[in-house]
Amino acid sequence: MVVRSYNDELKYLEKINDHCWRIKKGFQPNMNVEGCFYVNSRLEQLMLEELKNSCRPGAVGGFLPGVKQIANVAALPGIVGRSIGLPDIHSGYGFAIGNMAAFDMDNPLSIVSPGGVGFDINCGVRLLRTNLYEKDVQPVKEQLAQSLFDHIPVGVGSKGIIPMNARDLEEALEMGMDWSLREGYVWAEDKEHCEEYGRMLNADPAKVSMRAKKRGLPQLGTLGAGNHYAEIQVVDEIYDKWSASKMGIEEKGQVVVMIHSGSRGFGHQVATDALVQMEKAMKRDKIETNDRQLACARINSVEGQDYLKAMAAAANFAWVNRSSMTFLTRQAFAKMFNTTPDDLDMHVIYDVSHNIAKVENHMVDGKERKLLVHRKGSTRAFPPHHPLIPVDYQLTGQPVLVGGTMGTCSYVLTGTEQGMKETFGSTCHGAGRALSRAKSRRNIDYKEVLEKLEQSGIAIRVASPKLVMEEAPESYKDVTDVVDTCHAAGISKKCIKMRPIAVIKG
Amino acid sequence: MLKKKLEALGFPTPSDLALSNRKDFASIVLWLEDQKIRQYAIEDRVILRNVDNIEMWEDAYQKYCADLNMPSLGTQNEQLAWIVGHAIRLEFLDDPAQYESINSKQTQPKINNKQSQKKVLMIFDGQINVNDKEFIAGVRTLAGQLNVPHHPNYLVQLEAVARVVHERLSPAARGRQPIVGTPFPFDKGNDVVSDSDAALDLPMRILRLLQIQSLRQLQTHINETIVSVQNLTANPKTDTKLGKVGF
Repeated sequence: MVVRSYNDELKYLEKINDHCWRIKKGFQPNMNVEGCFYVNSRLEQLMLEELKNSCRPGAVGGFLPGVKQIANVAALPGIVGRSIGLPDIHSGYGFAIGNMAAFDMDNPLSIVSPGGVGFDINCGVRLLRTNLYEKDVQPVKEQLAQSLFDHIPVGVGSKGIIPMNARDLEEALEMGMDWSLREGYVWAEDKEHCEEYGRMLNADPAKVSMRAKKRGLPQLGTLGAGNHYAEIQVVDEIYDKWSASKMGIEEKGQVVVMIHSGSRGFGHQVATDALVQMEKAMKRDKIETNDRQLACARINSVEGQDYLKAMAAAANFAWVNRSSMTFLTRQAFAKMFNTTPDDLDMHVIYDVSHNIAKVENHMVDGKERKLLVHRKGSTRAFPPHHPLIPVDYQLTGQPVLVGGTMGTCSYVLTGTEQGMKETFGSTCHGAGRALSRAKSRRNIDYKEVLEKLEQSGIAIRVASPKLVMEEAPESYKDVTDVVDTCHAAGISKKCIKMRPIAVIKG
Repeated sequence: MLKKKLEALGFPTPSDLALSNRKDFASIVLWLEDQKIRQYAIEDRVILRNVDNIEMWEDAYQKYCADLNMPSLGTQNEQLAWIVGHAIRLEFLDDPAQYESINSKQTQPKINNKQSQKKVLMIFDGQINVNDKEFIAGVRTLAGQLNVPHHPNYLVQLEAVARVVHERLSPAARGRQPIVGTPFPFDKGNDVVSDSDAALDLPMRILRLLQIQSLRQLQTHINETIVSVQNLTANPKTDTKLGKVGF
């Protein structure tokens, strides 16, 4: 690897406009395409500081800085367009979290990389609306939080309350949300308002290891730990009244429920298994990458196809998981307010995946091409009239759900034409870490964090309070900065802002 | 379409068909009569030449329409379309041999007449002869009553009639709740049609809305199917004894 001083490194970076930087070829070896990243002035400082720190003599270990990771991805075989960093980018395994990259399906050398999807396959956000207002919920929010906490098992090692046997799991892996529908856990409209309609058709449970299935079985219908949460939120601001009304959000103060979860241990095991396989495939096919963590295989190789099929099964697992939690949330609300979920109008507004690789058609250099789009910590954001978004959102553009950090605000954005052109229809996914988990644990006291939340009037239920500081707002970038950057750059459009009144966490 | 037909007839300035102006309309009619139709002898056309005095011209035009045996058509556009069609027919009859090579076998699939005819035939199950004059007259009258615009192919017009009846007059449509909520001007959405061509904007938006409407119907149908299957299969269970909160 090249060793350069910080000032020399800066020569490869060029600010194209207020919100976008270009990473020129040569920043890392063998770059096939250029890289770019979206930032505003504050996020820019964070990015560059990270790079600067890594240039200090003797800086070893840990992840590479985000900029370097973007450039390494740009050196992968078959990549088209640019390797793109979204404003919430931070270092991750191989690919940075908040990095999207598209690979040409028609190029036999193109690769698929588990690092470009992430360990929590099909981690995503689902938003449920209600017809309740803050004044209805505020007096009972403690009970409601407790009720949610009782219904949705949380934390490391938690187990779900929906009885499932091994055969159920096999079916769920193949059918995704269709399984939840068949069993009656969710409504037909839920499927309509879900990315991919809640089911990846190429899923093949036979490509998933026994170990993954064993880990996954008891975990269905659980929230998990880490940054996952369920929040009762209140609409705080409406930027785009018309699009909001299309989503059933009429006024400020309306109560919504956000569920942020993924495929739990199941997805993690699928990714781990694939990495082992791919290292072998790389040796056999002589695939060279800049970073060992960027293990990958040709899309058309056995390993590549096996991974895509197993990944699809994990994606289906995550949708069943979020669907089960939707069911439990509806039950909790219905019990609390002594009515039915129907009468509370608890419809799914949308469900997005922000850790996934998908085959999509995009325009590249004026031609339509079939691409494998990796989105890791990046949300799909398709523009109005795209055939893959639900009919209800054809005029507004796809809703993009951006979960903030615990205790801060969350946003709903909509996809734009410009995003389709610039970022293959992708945008940010959340706040993005600023401090590593370990650093957060050292620097922040968990009692303080909990007190702060209480002071701001947020009811909180946590399974493992001692891990809360990992997820404290101080450990993250400011989600408002992230969202504003996406809005200003035009890759998505602000629609609704929500603030939490109750949080359930692992 | 109208523009294409005028072009085919050799009308000098078909690109600016400003039909908002009655005088331009009068000029086109006059040109068609002068060059193509020749319903009147040259000296009898004087009254139609009065395009500058539009009121007098209107009277002459009324008579002219009657002389041409034009059916009673609503809008100016429909009338013009009919007159142009008439002119083309005459032009063709002047020298049919010239157009022999362009026969119906080649053009039929393009017009798609067969398809709609087939559709109608299927509905009536062969019990009605759709080529019958009485049937055609019936379709035209029905269309007139329902204000459905004229179309040269009466079968297409029949489809439009069916649609109006289905959407507005069927018992299901009558019993439908009126849509409540705040209407939103559909030209103010997030969607961009075309930056360069404003004339494209409105028709594109209307087409897209129609497309969305039919998609919505399809999706509703799918949802209804899922629900009916759910009635047979659904049996959601929970067992709180299984639950375990982690650490």
